[in-house]
Amino acid sequence: MLEIKNLHANVAGKPILKGLNLSIGAGEVHAIMGPNGAGKSTLGNVIAGRDGYEVTAGEVLYNGKDILGLEPDERACEGIFLAFQYPVEIPGVNNTYFLRAALNAQRKYRGEPELDSMQFLKLVREKLKILHIDDDLMHRAVNEGFSGGEKKRNEIFQMAVLEPSLAILDETDSGLDIDALRLVAEGVNRQRSAERSIIVVTHYQRLLDYIVPDFVHVLAGGRIVASGGADLAEKLEAQGYAWLERGGIGKLDVEIRA
Amino acid sequence: MNATPATELAARWADSLRTAVYPVAPAWLENLRENATAAFAEAGLPHRKVEAWRYTPLKRLEALAPGLAPVADAPSPVDFAPALCKKATVVDLPDGNLESIPADLPEGVSVLSMSEALVRFEDRVRSLAESVPVDGPARAFAAINTANLHRGAVVHVAEGVDAGSLLLRFAAEGSASDLLSSRVMVLLDAGARLTLIEQHRGASPAALNLLLQPQLAENARLAHLRVQDRDDEAFLLTATHAVQAAGSHYAFCGFDLGGGLLRHELNTTLNGEEAHAELAGAWVLDGQRHCDIRVAVDHAAPNCSSEQFFRGVLGGRSRGVFNGRALIREGADGSSVRQSNANLLLSRLAEMDTKPELEIYADEVEASHGATVGQLDETAVFYLRTRGLPEAEARRLLTAAFCQGVTSRVDDAALAETVAQMIDAAMPGAM
Repeated sequence: MLEIKNLHANVAGKPILKGLNLSIGAGEVHAIMGPNGAGKSTLGNVIAGRDGYEVTAGEVLYNGKDILGLEPDERACEGIFLAFQYPVEIPGVNNTYFLRAALNAQRKYRGEPELDSMQFLKLVREKLKILHIDDDLMHRAVNEGFSGGEKKRNEIFQMAVLEPSLAILDETDSGLDIDALRLVAEGVNRQRSAERSIIVVTHYQRLLDYIVPDFVHVLAGGRIVASGGADLAEKLEAQGYAWLERGGIGKLDVEIRA
Repeated sequence: MNATPATELAARWADSLRTAVYPVAPAWLENLRENATAAFAEAGLPHRKVEAWRYTPLKRLEALAPGLAPVADAPSPVDFAPALCKKATVVDLPDGNLESIPADLPEGVSVLSMSEALVRFEDRVRSLAESVPVDGPARAFAAINTANLHRGAVVHVAEGVDAGSLLLRFAAEGSASDLLSSRVMVLLDAGARLTLIEQHRGASPAALNLLLQPQLAENARLAHLRVQDRDDEAFLLTATHAVQAAGSHYAFCGFDLGGGLLRHELNTTLNGEEAHAELAGAWVLDGQRHCDIRVAVDHAAPNCSSEQFFRGVLGGRSRGVFNGRALIREGADGSSVRQSNANLLLSRLAEMDTKPELEIYADEVEASHGATVGQLDETAVFYLRTRGLPEAEARRLLTAAFCQGVTSRVDDAALAETVAQMIDAAMPGAM
């Protein structure tokens, strides 16, 4: 589903990703962990196509298609969703209006008929119910004045409505207390399916207690330096990232990709 | 003085004002016209050294060198569809002058020509006409307007009457390059209510010099909506001078979406306690448009409040000027003043000059002001695009949202929708 080969990317002229390889199959949940500054958020932004993230080498294939030449909105329409670490507040834009415009833009791209307001409302009610979100959210401006938890839940709600085939959750746990974290994780878990791949980018193992990944990768120095199963996250939590710098990779019983 | 195009034009206009022939009028009006003519002849047109006109050079108007008297020629009809407000009573003022009185006016509401008003409301017309300062080059267009005072209309709403909505349509129809003066007075008796919609449209090269004077008696309420999407060549030199008695409420909401050279002076004087003014507006400029909005609120009585809330969107090589002034006079204690002007520059060649001015001579005053000029938040653009919105749509959505603090003030849903569509149509295309 997603093939990242030898990806190099610069931010403001500075190399951040230095030969990253990653392969994600349909329906799999991959966690990407790593120390601060390792390039975790850069990876999400490069896949989503953000300006200022310059790919200098390598390729990103999505369903066999090279997406690096596509605009961010085209990538979204191809089924890629980025849940932001810091969701943007957009005063003056109503959540319902925005989400319907986004969904219809995607449907139009895919040659599907656009949803009228009644059909859209029905879909929204259904999704709100599944995620146990109050419909008050739909009457507010996008993320404006939302608490940290509300913002993250709004991201997950958008994901539920847009139904991407690949969701990248960028530090979705940051700024959340344990109750909010659990709610957000439940929202994600309800959306796991055989057709939907998920990349969970996180600094801490805590989120992975709730969203249990199929694979865990350690990103350091712009590359994946270790990969393993869900248990790798626990080892990382116990030992910290410092062992990477001490050259202690060998202490971990994991496959090393370089 | 050297004969520049400006001084030549001013001399020509002064001559034209001196020799103009008007219908028979009371002596005070003839005096007023003469004095205004003399004031204009002495002061001439504003130039760069006149602070209030510093950013708005009148070169383009001089190049056009319009005459002051309307020349009869084939009118180009103006299409006002879609109607701004279907439930409003329409009052047409082609080129600024009332031609016919609408038949379906509610009880207690009158719309009169200036000459009829001089009979029925002479004292009030006189006091309003005489209240307009005409001295100095900064007030040249007020002087011309007063020197020329005979075209326009007077609206009157009797005590306690809720007049509903009146739509004043200023169609720019003449094809000659005239500077057409128009005076509109809106007299609201105590407790009267009115929604006044002022609409300007048309492709005529004629320049309109409109002076609108709302007079709100005690506890009167006026909602004044202004919508103009004149063509790129149009000149609009408009002024709104409101006076408010105790307990009155004046809400102005303006949308300047067109015009080549636009200057609007919006003033209100809070003369009685507990008078409130909420002044809001948005301008959307593209191409070479120039828009100069000057707002001034005079707090002359205690316990009044005023708000100035203005938003500007500028693309192309357009230029915007905003000057927001609030004066709180001695003794006007308990006044509350809020000022906010924010601008969005969508092009590197667009320019905005904004200046808030607060002058406070009273105690116990609550005042806040803020002025900003910025660009669209690129993170927000990216955020919307990651949800599937194409770039142009994302930018339009964010730009429209920027004006939302103004557009949300339009209560009537159908009217708000029409205004939203007009704003959308006015948005700079090349971003």
